[in-house]
Amino acid sequence: MSDYKKTVGIEVHCELKTNTKMFSSAANAYGDEANSNITLLDLAYPGTLPTVNYGAVMLALRAALALNCEINEDMFFDRKNYFYPDLPKGYQITQARTPIGINGYVEIGEDENSKKIRIHDIHIEEDTAKSVHQTDHSYLDFNRAGVPLIEIVTEPDMTSSDEAMLYLEKLRQLLLYADVSDCKMEEGSMRCDVNVSISKTEQLGTRTEIKNISSIRNVGIAIDKEATRQEELLNQGIVIQEETRRFDDVSGTTILMRVKEIGNDYRYFPEPDIPKLHLSKEFIRDTKDNMPMLPDDRIEAYKKRNISDINIKKLLQNKPLSDYINLFLDEDIDFVVLSNLLLGDISAYLNRTMKDLTDTNLSKTRCLELLTSLKEGKITNKNIKDILIDYLETTKDVDTLLKEKGIENINDTELLIKIIKNIIENNPESVEAYHNGHDRAIKYLMGQIMKETKGAANPAVANKLLQEELKKV
Amino acid sequence: MTDKLSREEVLHVAHLARININDAEIEKYRVQLKELLDEVDKIKDVTNYDKDMMITPVKEEIKMRPDVEKDTISFSLVRDNIPHTSGNLIEVPVMIHE
Amino acid sequence: MSKYLDLSITEINEKLKNKEISPLDLVMESFDRIEQNKELNAFITLNKEQAIKDAKELEMAEVDNLLFGIPIAIKDNIVTKDLRTTCASKMLANFVPIYNASVVEKIKNKHMIIIGKTNMDEFAMGSTSQTSYFKAPHNPWNLKRIAGGSSGGSAVAVSSRMTPLALGSDTGGSIRQPASYTGIVGMKPTYGRVSRYGLIAFASSLDQIGPMTRNVYDNALLLNAIVGKDEHDLTSVDKEDEDFTRFMKQDIKGMKIAIPNYFVSEIVDKEIVEKVHDVASLLEKEGVQVDYVDLPYLDKSVTLYQIIAMGEASSNLARFDGIRYGYSYDKCQNLDDLYLKSRQEGFGDEVKRRIMVGSYLLSGENAKTYYDKALMIRDDICKSFAKCFAKYDMIIGPTTTTVAYNLGEDMDNPLKAFLDDVLVIPVNMAGLPGMNIPVGFSRDHMPIGLHIIGNYFEEAKMYQLASRLEEILKLSLQPNYREGGIKDE
Repeated sequence: MSDYKKTVGIEVHCELKTNTKMFSSAANAYGDEANSNITLLDLAYPGTLPTVNYGAVMLALRAALALNCEINEDMFFDRKNYFYPDLPKGYQITQARTPIGINGYVEIGEDENSKKIRIHDIHIEEDTAKSVHQTDHSYLDFNRAGVPLIEIVTEPDMTSSDEAMLYLEKLRQLLLYADVSDCKMEEGSMRCDVNVSISKTEQLGTRTEIKNISSIRNVGIAIDKEATRQEELLNQGIVIQEETRRFDDVSGTTILMRVKEIGNDYRYFPEPDIPKLHLSKEFIRDTKDNMPMLPDDRIEAYKKRNISDINIKKLLQNKPLSDYINLFLDEDIDFVVLSNLLLGDISAYLNRTMKDLTDTNLSKTRCLELLTSLKEGKITNKNIKDILIDYLETTKDVDTLLKEKGIENINDTELLIKIIKNIIENNPESVEAYHNGHDRAIKYLMGQIMKETKGAANPAVANKLLQEELKKV
Repeated sequence: MTDKLSREEVLHVAHLARININDAEIEKYRVQLKELLDEVDKIKDVTNYDKDMMITPVKEEIKMRPDVEKDTISFSLVRDNIPHTSGNLIEVPVMIHE
Repeated sequence: MSKYLDLSITEINEKLKNKEISPLDLVMESFDRIEQNKELNAFITLNKEQAIKDAKELEMAEVDNLLFGIPIAIKDNIVTKDLRTTCASKMLANFVPIYNASVVEKIKNKHMIIIGKTNMDEFAMGSTSQTSYFKAPHNPWNLKRIAGGSSGGSAVAVSSRMTPLALGSDTGGSIRQPASYTGIVGMKPTYGRVSRYGLIAFASSLDQIGPMTRNVYDNALLLNAIVGKDEHDLTSVDKEDEDFTRFMKQDIKGMKIAIPNYFVSEIVDKEIVEKVHDVASLLEKEGVQVDYVDLPYLDKSVTLYQIIAMGEASSNLARFDGIRYGYSYDKCQNLDDLYLKSRQEGFGDEVKRRIMVGSYLLSGENAKTYYDKALMIRDDICKSFAKCFAKYDMIIGPTTTTVAYNLGEDMDNPLKAFLDDVLVIPVNMAGLPGMNIPVGFSRDHMPIGLHIIGNYFEEAKMYQLASRLEEILKLSLQPNYREGGIKDE
């Protein structure tokens, strides 16, 4: 392999999940009719002035806290000046000098393989208008103009495409769980720019920036392709230029967009229309207190409740289910059963019907009823399937549904004993095997009982009775 | 020190400002901009000053706005002021895509 | 022809209450006067149809405040819904705003009647109103002279008694300097007193809207009407309601006034300096303590102003690109053309110069060398004023270094506009309130103005001093250029 070491830094832009825009009170909504979510400010009408959205600042603060940042309690905004039709004021309001958060980190990998990716800063800014292009003209929709963004800038701490992808997955998960953003890369609510350089020494090489990569997977591909391209150039004795490239999905390569202009062309200066924004200690504390449970805390909580590693992983990938299970953290229930139920039959149902859990009637109380019925043997893992859909879609209770479906649970000991005796009689060889110490025989006989009772037997009760009857033989 | 900017310098600032200028204007601005720049250069004479910046005369911290939609306008209201529209979109010459 | 508009506001108010006159009489008189003084070129756009309609609607309404039914002129950089607002620029020559500036809403709430939009320097950049795309207004004291700027049209409208009231805006003296040149009262309130929402920005951290009137009392009344916190403007400040006329009848004895030596140095015309010394003597007779003091940085203000104002302007005017409103070059081949030529043809010379220099001052390392440093020294200016206000109630000096000079003079000197405002600019740098009141005339009978600077939010005290001086001086301030009584030397 190559002697060159890769160095990667990443800038992520994330649209915040607010009701309104950063500096105007127009709705922040995706997919509405063009130019319908605008105020005069969003078209940069002469005389209009910015206001600051509390909701956006709160979410940005939450993100900064989730990324372990130090918080700038006194902030100003800055103007980044450049001309482009999607930038109505001719400047973007951003935070260049006093970002809301600095010196944070995101931890990637597990245990001995874990690594901290340092966050240089996280700052608040505003999105540009959306443009579509035809041969001679472009067309502008200002619905997106002014939507609140946070930009999260790492230190150049990643050394491979794998690390970069791990970082992005972790970051995405954190922001999703902090309920800060949708983080939908396909809709552009999360966007990545990647800085790549290679070097054989400690001294970093000249970096190039790759913009607008549309998926985390492509970030990995883009980094590797770009590193290879740089290596080929260096091997030919060609000096790398500081430039901006874009990733082409189709060819899977990076393409030159523009060579960086020398020096700072953005004419940053402090935004005079927005005086000091002070984040009170109380506001910061409240935001901390109201922070939704983050992934690492969830993992810990689930482990404590004996949920299997594989289920924990699956839950973390499905935030609505994880949020749902969190409703029960204070309850004395069997989380193994609940997580199996949610990730098994219920997930299958939700996937099949394209529903969310909130579309069903599985309130916390009803879910507890279901769990109790399982525990008491009113229903079994088998016949729960027969009532589950109705239980999710109606408000009928377990007993009613069991009756409706004609399912009778065999809790009747006498009936069970009768069935068990019958089975013992018909399977002498298994009985013999049992007496010879083969445990498997029990399993087989239990299977026969469940088959005979069509799964209606309470397994615990049946097992106990079976053992007793076997001893009598 | 010369009393004029070079043509290139004038063209550079005109480009920063996105203002087209013709040859006659270049000559005029070589002198006029130089006069202005010499004047602002006097700030270099000030050597003794505090590092606190005054961004605005307003000392009070701002109050944030509640995250509630309002003041949204209909596109039909602004349409007449827009030089070129197509449906509900604003039209511009094609944005050279990077 | 009726002369109701020469009466005091209280007299007009009495007549309106008694139904002796109606708002329509005032409005018609105002338009008559504008028509008769057309050559003054005070207005860019008249609001005649709507003003008459508004006046008629007021006929039946209760006369609920002193400003009820009074005609007012609005500087053309303050947006008015459905009434063309040009900023005296080709860029906005056909621009019809779809909302009212917050001050305009306040004016309407008090039932004042908007007569029209006044002439000014293009985008308020200038000190003579000669950079107007609609040609310069003339000084009613002498038609050959400038009215000053940038609020030249508003000054002319009030000075020539077309309207008793006008709104101006002041970024580096643009209310006070034309007020001085035309012999009227002009107040730039403390930065943040009046909402800037709807004021087309020139330099955001300096701009402030203020009243321009025939006398001190009217000025305070109009300020009463337009101040207040505005949720649309984060730089507007929340202050308790106050009546700015409340100290006007009170004695000024015991006040302490400072006159910075720089304000009476050789940069100011001798006869103006003498006038300031005369005022100082008058004040001393009233029991006021007047001291001549050194106030550092005053001589640096113009340089700082240029950097901050041009820097901010270059950014504020970036939105004028021919895409969403305003002048748009219509034969463009590509996007660059649209920007470059719309801005080349839409902006006048002064504006282009300032945008170019401002862009340059913010580019690359210059932002640190010039802009950041200017903001640091700006903070020092504030501290220096604060020290002075720890000892003194107010600072006075002349408003201008000369009286109004001839139109066309020094047009090509890009520094002239800044140097005209050397005495008034420091006030904007600090965000302090400053006002002009007429205190006499030059040998060629042009008005001379006194500049009063107050501490933050102490406008009421300034009006107290100003009204006392007005009372002592009893100047006759109605220009009459028609009757040939005034000669140019």
